[in-house]
Amino acid sequence: MTTDEHGVPAGVDRDLVHLMNAVFTDYREAHPHPRTSHLDTELWSHLDRLGLARLTGSEATGGSGAGWPEAAELITAAARRGVRIPLAEHDLLACWLLEAAGAPVDGTVRSACLLDESGRATAVPWASSVDRLVVVWPGPAGHLLADIDARDLRITPDTNMIGEPRDEVSADLSTLTGIPVSADLVSRFALRAALVRSLQVCAALDTILELAIEHTSTRVQFGRPLSKFQAIQHLISDIAAEAALARAATEAALSTALDSDWSASNVHFRVAVARSCAGHAVSVAVRNAHQALGAIGTTIEHRLHEYTRAALAWRSEYGSVQHWDSVVTQAALRAGEDGLWELIAD
Amino acid sequence: MSTRLVPPATREPAGSTELRAEVRAFLSEQLAAGAFTPSVDAWLCGWDEAFSAALAERGWLGMTVPKEYGGHGCSFLERFVVTEELLAAGAPVAAHWIADRQIVPSLLKYGTELQKREFLPAIAAGRCFFGIGMSEPDSGSDLASVRTRAVRADGGWTLTGTKVWTSGAHRAHAFIVLARTSPVDPAHRHAGLSQFIVRLDGPGVEVRPIVSMSGGHHFNEVILDEVLVPDEMVFGEIGAGWSQVTSELSFERSGPERVLSTFTLLAATAESMAAQQIDSDAGLGRLVARVAGLHQMSVAVAGALERHESADVPAAVVKVLGTSTEGDIADFADLRAGDDSRITPSLRALITEAVDQRPGFTLRGGTNEVLRGVIARGLGMR
Repeated sequence: MTTDEHGVPAGVDRDLVHLMNAVFTDYREAHPHPRTSHLDTELWSHLDRLGLARLTGSEATGGSGAGWPEAAELITAAARRGVRIPLAEHDLLACWLLEAAGAPVDGTVRSACLLDESGRATAVPWASSVDRLVVVWPGPAGHLLADIDARDLRITPDTNMIGEPRDEVSADLSTLTGIPVSADLVSRFALRAALVRSLQVCAALDTILELAIEHTSTRVQFGRPLSKFQAIQHLISDIAAEAALARAATEAALSTALDSDWSASNVHFRVAVARSCAGHAVSVAVRNAHQALGAIGTTIEHRLHEYTRAALAWRSEYGSVQHWDSVVTQAALRAGEDGLWELIAD
Repeated sequence: MSTRLVPPATREPAGSTELRAEVRAFLSEQLAAGAFTPSVDAWLCGWDEAFSAALAERGWLGMTVPKEYGGHGCSFLERFVVTEELLAAGAPVAAHWIADRQIVPSLLKYGTELQKREFLPAIAAGRCFFGIGMSEPDSGSDLASVRTRAVRADGGWTLTGTKVWTSGAHRAHAFIVLARTSPVDPAHRHAGLSQFIVRLDGPGVEVRPIVSMSGGHHFNEVILDEVLVPDEMVFGEIGAGWSQVTSELSFERSGPERVLSTFTLLAATAESMAAQQIDSDAGLGRLVARVAGLHQMSVAVAGALERHESADVPAAVVKVLGTSTEGDIADFADLRAGDDSRITPSLRALITEAVDQRPGFTLRGGTNEVLRGVIARGLGMR
């Protein structure tokens, strides 16, 4: 993936990226303190009218026919302005599942989840706010998929630490009928979901870095801006370095996935690497940014928490950092001494 | 202002998969023949002229040197791929490392025709090894303060001063010395510096060992006592030493040797964990993931260098993260190497080497403190 001088990936329309940024910037100007725990249907309709709600859906089913590079820009634009909205859950997960399974898709807002054998799923994003849920569950002869009216599911609302809906969903599996889907589709769903969070974490890290530079360049103590102190420069350089590593690993995972249409044998490893690097980058960025911003950065008035707390929340979704570290560990143990380099470089 | 410090990933050049396979096959043969034992920090400590000659025979030295100068006309990315494979295997590449990494691009950029003809074919053939003459007893990170003086003489320059930390000077043929050719101007500290190619076996040159704390001898002090350097061995332009030195730093800082110095230890630790000699621990995965992410990042920087883009800031990012990770790998393994551990003697030996070499990782080629300053400058903070 290459980018032009404005940081827009090659092949992505610059005007489209400008539009995405403008929509969320305008929204935040009009809503300085948005509620995160419910879906803003007005914003959703606006995004839908602009063709951004189902950005990657096929045009035949009412989507905009774009791809992951555009979707990544959209997710990033929302995250960088602290706008919480289930664009990825709807487009990249739920509607993608329907299209992949050959099921009909319409304009209804959706999320998606994997139910366990007992028909339960926890921390399902936005389940309590959407109209329909695409659910996948293990049947006796393989996985099954159904597109269900949210009112027909038991949904116990909950949220993550930044107030985004992360609900418990349960269904009586004996009453559901579903379309058979492959195990491969189920594992792709998990990888796509994990990579979405990685992209969101990268966006939050970049904003944390910008806020830290902005604050330390303007805040004067001992007669100089904080940014002129080496100790502060080192705190912020380390945020920048970790954010760059998270991004390099995330972009590599996305490229590997897209180049092979998610079929390459190392997509799982690359996604795990991305989640590990992004997850640990959050530790450094959150710690150092709050240190550099001082007490004001810990208040609700300051915007920093919209990114530090979001980064902490997102790095732990679709698997903890430790989970992804373990996935990489297991891959390394299987590769052994003689295969470790090939695992990394090939 | 953009906070994007590292350029996006570059695709490896066509044929790099085959090239990697070729290098791996060569390394397997060499290992099977007992030609080397994979070790830690082998690009500093693994001096093996026979191994360098074998690489030269395969065309893997002086890869970026044009054919007319005895090289192979390959791209920088192809060289990157080969060196990455060699370092990951812990192969002994120290003899030719400085010449191949640093002197080749410098000669190609600043060398005279005579200098190129004299040195490039010999470097590509694995017959000429170089050192670096930058640091001095009183000039470490603050390179502009070098005191070695070059005074105009009949037909050349007379150099007097002391250089330190010159790795391999006791075995190499020549080194490039940074010296002051005019007095310090406090307003322009970086002016008045020049570079010279100095033969290490010439009159007035004395090489004294600096023995490392582990007992190893890699570093030296080189004392120059009125060493006459002929005009044809002036390197680049008189007075342009600073810009010549700094323009090549990205090559020195972003390479795979800033990530992979302890890779053999990481691999051996994974093996030991798989054999349940040490407890399974997700901390290993964190380190493997960092190395994998850094591999992606250094490929990206190599791509930028290939395109002749300025890469000093991304190179600093790679080096800060990479050398810290190299050290973290040493520490991770060492934390599991007690007298009650069931690890193999060979792993124990790698760990000892790694913890001994570790302090150097974040010092050489620009300390991480200096590099964080470079990053901060890239962020507009200074």
